Amino acid sequence: MKYFSYVWRNMRRNRLRTCLTIGSIAISLFLMMIMLSFLSVNQNVSESLKGYNRIIAMSSQGFATAVPIRFVNEVAQMPEVVAASPLSWYGGKYQEEVMPFAQFGIYPDKILQIWDELELPDDQKNAFASDPSGCVIGFKMAAERNIKIGDSMPLKGTIYPFDLNLTVRGIYKSPPDRDGRMLMFNWNLLEEGLKQEFQGRQAGNAGTVFAKIKPGGDLAAFCRKVDAATINSDTPTRTQTEDAFVAQFAELWGDMRTMISAVGLAVVVSLVFVSGNAMAMALRERTTEIAVLKAIGFTNGKILGMVLTESILVALMGGIVGALGCKLLFDVFDVSPYTAGALPFFFIPWQTALLGLGSSLMIGLVSGLFPAVAAARLGVIQGLRKVV
Amino acid sequence: MSDNLAIQLLNVSKEYSRNSMRIPVLQGLNLDVRQGEFLALMGPSGSGKTTLLNLIAGLDRATSGDVNVDGLNLSQLSESQLTRWRADHIGFIFQMYNLIPVMTAQENVELPLLLQPVSRSERRKRAATALKIVGLDGREDHYPRQLSGGQEQRVAIARAIVTDPALIVADEPTGDLDRTSAEEILDLLDTLHRDLDKTIVMVTHDPQAASRASRLLRLDKGQLVGDETQAQAKSRMGVS
Repeated sequence: MKYFSYVWRNMRRNRLRTCLTIGSIAISLFLMMIMLSFLSVNQNVSESLKGYNRIIAMSSQGFATAVPIRFVNEVAQMPEVVAASPLSWYGGKYQEEVMPFAQFGIYPDKILQIWDELELPDDQKNAFASDPSGCVIGFKMAAERNIKIGDSMPLKGTIYPFDLNLTVRGIYKSPPDRDGRMLMFNWNLLEEGLKQEFQGRQAGNAGTVFAKIKPGGDLAAFCRKVDAATINSDTPTRTQTEDAFVAQFAELWGDMRTMISAVGLAVVVSLVFVSGNAMAMALRERTTEIAVLKAIGFTNGKILGMVLTESILVALMGGIVGALGCKLLFDVFDVSPYTAGALPFFFIPWQTALLGLGSSLMIGLVSGLFPAVAAARLGVIQGLRKVV
Repeated sequence: MSDNLAIQLLNVSKEYSRNSMRIPVLQGLNLDVRQGEFLALMGPSGSGKTTLLNLIAGLDRATSGDVNVDGLNLSQLSESQLTRWRADHIGFIFQMYNLIPVMTAQENVELPLLLQPVSRSERRKRAATALKIVGLDGREDHYPRQLSGGQEQRVAIARAIVTDPALIVADEPTGDLDRTSAEEILDLLDTLHRDLDKTIVMVTHDPQAASRASRLLRLDKGQLVGDETQAQAKSRMGVS
C-alpha cells in the first residue's frame, strides 16, 4: 500500500497516453458488452422464468399451424393446472409503425393468473374483462406513445384479413426483464373475426396454449402428459416449459454466437497489445528511474509488483468505464424504443458486466507482464548508463 | 580486515566481454579506505572510476578479487541480498540527480525509507530532517521541476542520507552544476564527512571538487596510479 502513491502518480505521468489507453479499453469493452448481452439477455430471461411454473404448448408442426382452442380447455381441466389461456399472435399494425409489437389474443380472466408477475389494478382488470373489445397494454408502450386508459387502439390486420378496433382498459406494469410493450385483448374478438372470414374454417384457433402449473409439480412430466394427450389428434403438440420456449430463440443465433465470442476474444487480444504497448512505452521512458530505484534497494519483485499494479489499474479503469459504465447506462437508459421493436427490452446482465471487468483485469495482467519482467530484469548499471 | 576499514579491495579485477572480446577495466586493484574518509576518484574517461564506484556500492560484481565493505564480502551475497544491503548501507548521489519527477522533494527523500520498517509519520519526520540538513526546509512540497539544479542535487543528497548510511557514493555530483551550486554541494559533502563522519567516495573530473576530499586516488587504464592525502597533493602542487 505504501507504494501505491508512486504507482498512482506514474499512471498520471502522461495523462494523455493513460487516458487514450483507458479509452481504447473502455470503448472496446463497451461494444463487447453490448454484443455479448445480445446473446445472454435471452439466456438470462430464460433463467429468470424457471421459477414461474409455466408451459407453452404449440403445434408440433411449428408456429404456422395453430393449436385448436379445445386443447386450452383440456389443459385447463388437468389437476396440475392453475390456469390456462390461448396465446394467439395477431401481428397487427398500429398507425404507421413498421415493426409490430407483441399482440396476443388471450383469456382476460386467466392471463394474469398465469403471467402473475404483471401488475394490473383490480378496477382495470374488471374493465378489461367486461369490455369485449378492450385491451391492456404495457406501461412502456403507454408512456412512449402517450396512450391513456380509454384511448382507442386500432390495429390493422397483416396476418389476418380483418382489423381490430380496441379500447385501452388497463395498463400493466412488469419487471425490467419482461416485455413492457405487449398488448393483450380478448381471444373471442379474434375468434369472431375468424368466423367471418374463410367461411369460418380458421376459427377455433388458439395459436398456442399457455398455462401455469401448481407449485412442486414436475414440469417435464407435465409437458409429456400434454403431448401424450394430443399425440393421436390432428394437431399433435410440442409442449415446453416457458424458459425452454424462450431459450430456443437464443439458440436461433447458432453460429452467430460462436462468431461474436470469437470477435470478443479478438478484441481482448488486441487490447492486450494496445495496453502492453502503452506500458512498454511508459517504462522505456523511465529506464533510468527504475535503475535508480533498484540502486537504492528496490528488489526485482517490488519493481515487478509496481509495474504490474500500474498496468492492472489502467486496464481496470478501462473495465470500470467500459463494462460497468455500459451496464449502468443501459440500466438507466432504455434502448428498446430505438430498436424498432427488435428488442422488447435490453440490459447488460451482471455476469456479462463482471466478465468484462474480469477481462480488463486479465488484459492488465497479461499486457503488463512482459514490460514488468523487463523492468525487473533491467541491470542497474545498464539503466544508469543512459544518463550517468 | 581492520576494524576501522570501511572499504577493502583485494586484488580486484573487472573485465567486460563484448563479442567474445575481453575488455579489462580494472586490473588487480588493492585499496583500503578508513571509516570517515572522503575519497576522490580521478582519472581520464575510461580509466575505470565509475566501475570502481559501482563495485564498492554493490551495483556490480568484480570478475575476480574481493570487495569488502564494512567487513562484508560483497561477492558472497546473492543479487537480492545485495539489493537489500544497498538499501541499508549505501547512499547514492548521481550526476543528473535522478529524482522522481512526479514526486515532491519530501516524497523523493522518503523513497528509500519505504524499504525500511518505518511508520509513515516517522518517514515524514526523517525526510524533513534530511531536507533541513541540506538547507531545503520549506521546499518539501516542491516538485523537481520547480527546483534549480543545485536544489535538486541537494534533494538527492537528502535522499542519500535519509537512511543514515555509513557510506555515500557520488558519481560526478557537481558535473551538471554551475560553480556556485557546485561549491554549495561540495560544502554539503564536506559537512557530511566532517560533522556526521560519513565515508564518502566521489568520482570527479573536477580538480576543485577533488580538492575538497581528504584523499585523492588517481586511476589510469584500470590501475591505481596515484594515492595521496589532500595535504600531500597540495604540497606536491606547491599550494599552501
